[in-house]
Amino acid sequence: MHTYEIFLKKDGRDEYRHAGALDAATDDLAMVMARESYIRRAEGDRLWLVRRDHVIVADPDLIAPNADKPHRHHDGSAVAARRKAMRNEGASS
Amino acid sequence: MTVDVTPAVREFLLAIADDKHLMGQQHAEWIGVTPFLEEDLAFCSIGQDELGHAALLYELLAGDDDAAIDSLAYDRGADDYRSCHLVELATDDWTVAFARHWLFDTADQHRWALVSQSTVSELQDVAARVEREERFHRLHADNMLDVLLADATARDRFVTAVAVLAPLTQGLFEPVAGEAEAVATGVAAGPLAAEWDAFVATIEARIGAVEWGSAPSQAQRTLRSDDWRPLMARMREVIDLDLSATW
Repeated sequence: MHTYEIFLKKDGRDEYRHAGALDAATDDLAMVMARESYIRRAEGDRLWLVRRDHVIVADPDLIAPNADKPHRHHDGSAVAARRKAMRNEGASS
Repeated sequence: MTVDVTPAVREFLLAIADDKHLMGQQHAEWIGVTPFLEEDLAFCSIGQDELGHAALLYELLAGDDDAAIDSLAYDRGADDYRSCHLVELATDDWTVAFARHWLFDTADQHRWALVSQSTVSELQDVAARVEREERFHRLHADNMLDVLLADATARDRFVTAVAVLAPLTQGLFEPVAGEAEAVATGVAAGPLAAEWDAFVATIEARIGAVEWGSAPSQAQRTLRSDDWRPLMARMREVIDLDLSATW
């Protein structure tokens, strides 16, 4: 028995999106079960199955150091806050 | 979409519809209690397809009026149904239920092939639609069988379940009185019973020789089995609460 991750795509509109997972004894059975469980209402017209044990998973230690680097965020909030402060100073003088 | 057919051809089509209707109901009753979640969804989905196929045929006979379709599906007297005893059989054994799905859908392929070039053109359309869905039913059964038959214990249980169903399966091939006229007028390409040997070859190629036993006494599908009445009572459970209710 393997666990399979299910990905669906609507042609021309979306990227493949994770829809869920299922357990099955063989690849063929997994495909049939995915068809009946995830696309019986035409939720997608393309279907990928990926065996979970084939997914290459990152070690949390590999990812963690990047959680504390605000200088890499380009959302402009620091600049916006500075400009707002300057506008407020101009209005009050 | 309604077809204008003789009483004999109507009876022939009703037999197909009634088998589909009851098979769909039987599958649907497994929702929530199949051995694992994936199969729960798949089995119920297949059951819904079967009900849909029955509805297409009832609609051919009763027209677009929902009340007329419902009446045809649910309100006939026991003598007026034309189901075979295989689809009426009550079971709480999932192996039997699954074996019946395999046997029924394998036989169903022969049945629909016989009407795929029917002189009733609307029936050709229904047959094409049904086959588009049925091939996935067979794929489901075959892929599951690959797994079950590879395991000695599962294989024994499955073969035992087929043995339980084998006599009733012969009843699926028993014609209604109207079949002869349906064949004579080209509604069907031939009698379903002529497909029996090919059906048996398919089944036995998979699981070895089967002791088919004696066919049930169905009197050209006019006799209901003991399990039919409780099954119909479950199907009518809500309707029967208030027969005058408007839906």
